Amino acid sequence: MAGSGPTALERFINGIIPENPVYRQLLGMCPTLAVTNGMKPALTMAGATAFVLICANVITSLIRNALKPHLRILVFTLTIATFVTIADRFLQAFMPAMSKVLGPYVPLIIVNCIIIARCEVCASKQAVGTALADALGCAIGFALGLSSIATVREILGTGCWMGMRILPEGWDNWGIMVLPPGAFLTLGLLLGLAEWFGAARKKAGRS
Amino acid sequence: MDHLVDILLIAVGAAFINNFVLHYFVGICPFIGVSRRVDQAFGMGLAVTFVVTIASFLAWVFTWFVTRPGAPVTAWVWHLFSPGSDAVLDLSILNYIIYIFVIASSVQFVEMYLKKFFPALFKAFGVYLPLITTNCAILFACLEIMKHVSGVRNPAEMWGLDQALTLAVFGGLGFALAITTMAGIREELDLCDIPEPLKGPGITLLTAGIMAMAFMGFTGVDRGLAAFLR
Amino acid sequence: MTEETGKTQGLLAQAWLILLLAGLFGSSLAAVEIVLGPKIRENKRNETFGQVPRLVPGGSARKSREVVLGGIRAIRVLSEEGKHLGWVLPASGQGFADKIELLVGLDRRAGKITGLYVLDQKETPGLGDYIKDEGRFRKYFRGQPAAEPLRVVKRKPRPGSGEIKAITGATISSTSVCRIVNDAVREFRAALEKRAAGEEKE
Repeated sequence: MAGSGPTALERFINGIIPENPVYRQLLGMCPTLAVTNGMKPALTMAGATAFVLICANVITSLIRNALKPHLRILVFTLTIATFVTIADRFLQAFMPAMSKVLGPYVPLIIVNCIIIARCEVCASKQAVGTALADALGCAIGFALGLSSIATVREILGTGCWMGMRILPEGWDNWGIMVLPPGAFLTLGLLLGLAEWFGAARKKAGRS
Repeated sequence: MDHLVDILLIAVGAAFINNFVLHYFVGICPFIGVSRRVDQAFGMGLAVTFVVTIASFLAWVFTWFVTRPGAPVTAWVWHLFSPGSDAVLDLSILNYIIYIFVIASSVQFVEMYLKKFFPALFKAFGVYLPLITTNCAILFACLEIMKHVSGVRNPAEMWGLDQALTLAVFGGLGFALAITTMAGIREELDLCDIPEPLKGPGITLLTAGIMAMAFMGFTGVDRGLAAFLR
Repeated sequence: MTEETGKTQGLLAQAWLILLLAGLFGSSLAAVEIVLGPKIRENKRNETFGQVPRLVPGGSARKSREVVLGGIRAIRVLSEEGKHLGWVLPASGQGFADKIELLVGLDRRAGKITGLYVLDQKETPGLGDYIKDEGRFRKYFRGQPAAEPLRVVKRKPRPGSGEIKAITGATISSTSVCRIVNDAVREFRAALEKRAAGEEKE
């Protein structure tokens, strides 16, 4: 593709559904499975990841002309690790209960493939505006991915959504949903669903 | 004797009960990506074990001697600059940066080692070897060690190098166990009629869910072991 | 040849970038530590001290102090006026799944348990994790005598009889909590008696 690559708007929209980080690119699966047993942890994680993604993309884009191939991963990693530390401390200071629930998964944002992938593919090659749009799109896409899984797991597993009672009191909680197997099963089935929808749309588009 | 039991419990816990992949959800990307054939999967499992051991060793050393509150090296350097001070320095804010650099270096080291002594293996790994840097399992092991060194106030409860390395080695082996088992199952699944949308990551995750349920059966084994041995 | 010198030049050119970034990031991290550090430490303190008023009625989170008694860490609970009301004892041990961390409220002579709070647990959701529920489990600890070990029973216990009703389907979690409380209270009472008897410990 000649020119300077996809525009800012294209990057933004791509990140939300067409190239959704969770369902299409299959990146960042560790937090997707780990923190989606409730909506609140899922949204907090999505927020923290969004913060790191946006800051890392912006900084990388600002210094993109000074980057030489050899040490660029090093620079990305340093940047991401710094912002994750800031996000982690911020959570510990202002949302201590949530920080305890999220536990080690906040520092694991450092190795969340989404952020390094976006830095590599977009931010290191395009201007700040485009990088910012890309980060926002991916952040929204990631939040959508996490929320969809968290919704299923929380409603089936506790009868609540965002802590509010949704299902009637007589509902027998599917405890397995808030445990590790539930995470795998939910993501597996939702992925299958997403694939099926994608294939159906392609067929409809062709015929 | 009590200490040995402690080590055994950490080992059993890391490998089976709190399996890195099936309980803590770390190392999922290679778990799904590299589990198509048993020999590939086993190789990846061992490579990860190797890297996580080296990385955890370095992580423990840095945490113990440099970043934890009251760390010896930091205190000594501080005393060179301000001799009379009794301030307790806490550099734990640098932990994450140190760990990721330690991990990147460990992977580089393993890459160089393999390239020199096992070139065929190095070629077989291809791009997957540098990708071990972004394997959550390694950073997770470092974070667990950090939790038991920096995060504990009572010095008697802090993990020494032996406990840290036990977690690393057996956590890695647990990962190897999970990924190799998954590869074995997937090789069988290749012969089955899987619905189109579920092929690939879909069926792998569903299988992982069932494996996770199986591993849940290990809950309480360490409690039983502890009661039996103590 | 050109590639070699180019590589060296490139690396040298990179060095300034990395050093600049390291300096920038290092300073921002130091700033974060200075600004947020105190708040984080306060939050950690509140995790335990925040429970003091609920565990020992009338206790003040602000005035109570942590002490070490015979090698045991405990919180000496004071009222707002400075009167010694009781103790909050941290305790931990193996539960069904993983470690359980508790806070036990005791009266001044450690003769009665005034409350229980679960700080951290990883028991089975929907079964063992009801140990953190006041109505289903924790209320049975209030007012129990501390001199004798508590026992877990399956039918409804008489208040103050030293009996705790087990959670249906989570007997091991219930007995684990009981055992952790019994062990911690017994050791603490022994330490208190030793101090009262005048022996110097630490």
